[in-house]
Amino acid sequence: MQLTDLTVRNFRNITSLDIELPEAGVVIIGANGQGKTNLLEAIYYLVLFRSFRGAKDRELVQFGAPGFFVGGSANTRVTAGYEVAGGRKKVTVDREPVRRLGAAVGRIVAVPFSPEDRGIVAGGPAGRRRYIDVLLSLSEPRYLVALSAMRVALKQRNAALRMGHGDTAQAFDTPFAEAAAIVLSTRMTWVERRTGRFRAICEALGEPEPAQLRYRRHGTKAEEEATDLRMLLASTIDRDLRRGTTTVGPHRDDLQLSLGDHSLQTYGSAGQQRTAAIALRLIEAETLAEATGQLPIGLYDDVFVELDDARQANLLTLIRDTLPGQAIVAAPRDSEVPPELFERPRWTMRGGKLET
Amino acid sequence: MSAIEQLTVELGKLPGIGRKTATRLTFHLLKQPRGAVESLARAIQAIVDRIAPCSTCGNFSEADPCSICSDSRRDRSMLCVVEEASDIEAIERSDEYRGLYHVLGGHLSPLDGIGPEDLRIDDLRRRVENGSGLREVIVATNPSMEGEVTATYLRGVLAPLGLRVTRIARGLPVGGDLEYADRSTIAQALVARREMTE
Ligand SMILES: [Zn+2]
Repeated sequence: MQLTDLTVRNFRNITSLDIELPEAGVVIIGANGQGKTNLLEAIYYLVLFRSFRGAKDRELVQFGAPGFFVGGSANTRVTAGYEVAGGRKKVTVDREPVRRLGAAVGRIVAVPFSPEDRGIVAGGPAGRRRYIDVLLSLSEPRYLVALSAMRVALKQRNAALRMGHGDTAQAFDTPFAEAAAIVLSTRMTWVERRTGRFRAICEALGEPEPAQLRYRRHGTKAEEEATDLRMLLASTIDRDLRRGTTTVGPHRDDLQLSLGDHSLQTYGSAGQQRTAAIALRLIEAETLAEATGQLPIGLYDDVFVELDDARQANLLTLIRDTLPGQAIVAAPRDSEVPPELFERPRWTMRGGKLET
Repeated sequence: MSAIEQLTVELGKLPGIGRKTATRLTFHLLKQPRGAVESLARAIQAIVDRIAPCSTCGNFSEADPCSICSDSRRDRSMLCVVEEASDIEAIERSDEYRGLYHVLGGHLSPLDGIGPEDLRIDDLRRRVENGSGLREVIVATNPSMEGEVTATYLRGVLAPLGLRVTRIARGLPVGGDLEYADRSTIAQALVARREMTE
């Protein structure tokens, strides 16, 4: 998949930008704060209609502007606009407005590599759930439907629990459990299928110890093994009422990443955590490529930074093997970009403007 | 605030009417003959003066009890539970049902602060307990998540009272409103209703 053109208006520090992108991609050099990460964020906005840095839409609007606009073409043309007044988001696919965002998500497929990805490995379970939820939403349409239904049922159930209404809360057990069962089985199947690749990629990146990816259900031993979610919810209703929240379910689960016998979250070095984060992005790319039959666009924000020469070379080999499509590479200086990538044109970003 | 602004603001509070449409409607009314606009104003005044919920079923009506509750030809062994009074209109149009109704006034939605005590569920229980000859309650809440959940909740309330509790079939598109479904879709959903089991 190739992004052939990009239009950006009033997105963070980018006032106005219209570019055509080369087939192989481009290298963007810019000091920190000049807008290269904003540019990658704008491109990825066309994938998920959300910031990959977790920013709110309102925060993406350039100071003083009434809203922002991003548009791009990759086989299909996708545009997204946001207006501060009224907080309205408008998305079009091939010039037709879409009513449900879910129907437009993933028309353009990209994988964002960022230095902040280490947080997926080093941070709490919420970041890892977000990682798996995004990639499964992009690769399996029914997953996004189930995930949304699960979240609505969960919010309703929790609101009833907070009001102390056990029987109203339990009336939401069926829709919650039905959606949660799909979410859970899709996640577990994916983890089971990818743990081997995760280990292989970590090894190929230069990690001598065997890496593992496992799905960890939240709760006691019995709760972890429960197959009937409705029965599980019924058995924990007293605890849920006391805490005013649903204490078991996929919304509490975690991905467990380990190296040998150690948890990467707790005991991993910064380098090991970075390696694992890159491996997660690469298996995300593989999953999306298989699901969509297209190579995702690689968005590389400063990923080669802090990797030693050997790991940098390993990463380049892996990218060439697993994600050989269009690459948009951002870095602060020429010296941070491996020379192999300079087959692509080099542009410079300064003060939100691109010099091509 | 000018009279024009005031009407625009009031119209803008109606469902599905944005500020632009409200302005257009206001100027449309200004161009109409006086009689037509007065007739509209009288019609609006009349629903405020003359229409109130039926104290038995909750349907909007000029009389209390309403024309359905007081109609001796209706089948008193059947009670159909709906979310809103407007759903009664839709079911009546289908010509498939001749029993009585009960309007809940919404569906369970704890997020919006709507629990069982905010719906006319106690009234329903009392009606069922006192209703001689009542054999079946058809739960016709919307096929949305909240409508299904409300149906499940009602089953829990009604099942111990020892009568048949059925649910309209899922012929309606999920999340769709009964109000907007066509005649034959509603008729089919009623005919193919099923016993509610746990
Ligand atoms: Zn009545």
